[in-house]
Amino acid sequence: MGTPESTTTERTIRTRAAELTDQPLTLLTVAVFWTWLVVRWTNDFLLDGALIERGTSFFPTAPFEAAASALGSLAASLGPVGFPVGWVAGFFEFLAASIPYLPELAIGVWATILLTVLGIALGFVIAVPLSVARVYGGTITRSLALGYTELFRGTPLLAQLFVLYFATPLTTVIRELPTVGTGFIPAQAFWVAVIAFTLNSAAYQSEYIRSALNSVPEGQLTAARAIGLSKVDGIRHVVLPQGLRYAIPGWSNELVYLIKYSSLASFITVRELFERTDAIASETYRYTELFVLAGLFYLALVISASLLMEYVEEQVAIPGLGTTGR
Amino acid sequence: MSDPLLALDDVYKSYGEEQVLSGVSFEMDAGDVDVVIGPSGSGKSTMLRCVNRLTEIDSGDIYLDGDCVTDADTDVNELRKQVGMVFQDFNLFAHLTALGNVTLGLRKVRGMDKATARERGYEHLEQVGLSDQADSYPAELSGGQKQRVGIARALAMDPKLLLFDEPTSALDPELVGEVVEVMRDLAAEGITMLVVSHEMGFARSAASDIIFLDEGRIVEHGPPEQLFENPQAARTGEFLSRLETTHEGE
Repeated sequence: MGTPESTTTERTIRTRAAELTDQPLTLLTVAVFWTWLVVRWTNDFLLDGALIERGTSFFPTAPFEAAASALGSLAASLGPVGFPVGWVAGFFEFLAASIPYLPELAIGVWATILLTVLGIALGFVIAVPLSVARVYGGTITRSLALGYTELFRGTPLLAQLFVLYFATPLTTVIRELPTVGTGFIPAQAFWVAVIAFTLNSAAYQSEYIRSALNSVPEGQLTAARAIGLSKVDGIRHVVLPQGLRYAIPGWSNELVYLIKYSSLASFITVRELFERTDAIASETYRYTELFVLAGLFYLALVISASLLMEYVEEQVAIPGLGTTGR
Repeated sequence: MSDPLLALDDVYKSYGEEQVLSGVSFEMDAGDVDVVIGPSGSGKSTMLRCVNRLTEIDSGDIYLDGDCVTDADTDVNELRKQVGMVFQDFNLFAHLTALGNVTLGLRKVRGMDKATARERGYEHLEQVGLSDQADSYPAELSGGQKQRVGIARALAMDPKLLLFDEPTSALDPELVGEVVEVMRDLAAEGITMLVVSHEMGFARSAASDIIFLDEGRIVEHGPPEQLFENPQAARTGEFLSRLETTHEGE
């Protein structure tokens, strides 16, 4: 049932997540965001621009421009008291200015999501044995796992990306692989970033899972051993199913972090959301609009991830385990 | 006559400086119910855990059904299939239902398929009167029910010997009865049980032998009538009289 301390934190996180679902406006925004993304991707990737030409926005800019100029003149005619109307006009201007870049950013979002999902999923595959080694390993495995974790948590992610990209032959090796950089398959830099995020995220995830494993009472494994399960089987069938449930709230944090950290991949030329935003901004000098837009996209992704994790937590909830079942 | 089912021969165990078991020897036959009593810290639980090697002994031998189980090359998982254990704080698998708790060993240790394991699991829950709680999670059960599931879980492995480590100590007084009743039924069915418990009612009515352990040594070992009515050692009498006063009416 965890320590009283961890229960409190988990509860706080839960309340926060529950607050999210209680917001119909949030849900609506997330739904609109995802519908747009999926339609955009389907059009650009699968239908070869059948609905609308690639790179052309679904939304016309003219109405927003008209609204902006109408409100602008209204604000001017109102004189000194017209400034709130001016703000609204500014908002419409922002929308009109942003619309042409939406298609390009949607493609960037695709790369960001792919990077994050692959990084977190592959990282999880490494993190589980890593955390088990930390909690149940012998002296040597334990220190190896600790060394790994400290190395990847203790050095900057950007440095890890640079080392993998520039200082190892990884780039050349991946480039030579068939299909890399053709069609749907992103180019080598993307895969180097996936490897970096996997290795880095594994270290962080293993910390969350390790502390969750520690909160599984010792008697659980003892009881598993007592019915004749080997240590490995006991961990697999008894400790992990409980520990991983405890780990969900903390692990969700890592997912949220990784969504935003994935922007670092832009430094090794991966064309994800941040890189595309930056590229357009330096061409058009519309830095404010574009980075506000990118920020909103990251926010939408983070809120989506929180909602997803809340759903997962509810689905796997067991009475008396963690907080959800109470 | 055949070998005793369980035999401890001069077993020693220490934790660092602290000597917990100092030359413990006794035997019990199949069908026996031996109850181990003694002051706290006397090594009762340690002795029990040595039998299924949750704790490793320092020296001596333990035999189960004629086989020395303390040999270095004994497969502990094989041993534990034959020796069930019931814990003081239940240790039910918190993520599994009552039925799941009983069937985990059947499936993952005995390699039974799911349907057969479920069938067997139900039978054992029935045996402890809990087949109606098969789908309840441990958190949804009372302490007494939890312990009965714990007993069913141990029984399901069809062990030669059942170890009980203070099975009623963590229970509210009003829940002790249902667990003791199940244990009495098992004793009557001829299941071999080694029980660490201060449930004197159970000891008097169900025990073949009482073992009084103090400071890691067996001070006295004999049938309940002898220990309760006519203890040979002074310390046994002292301990029992203290126990009777504290446990009166339970």
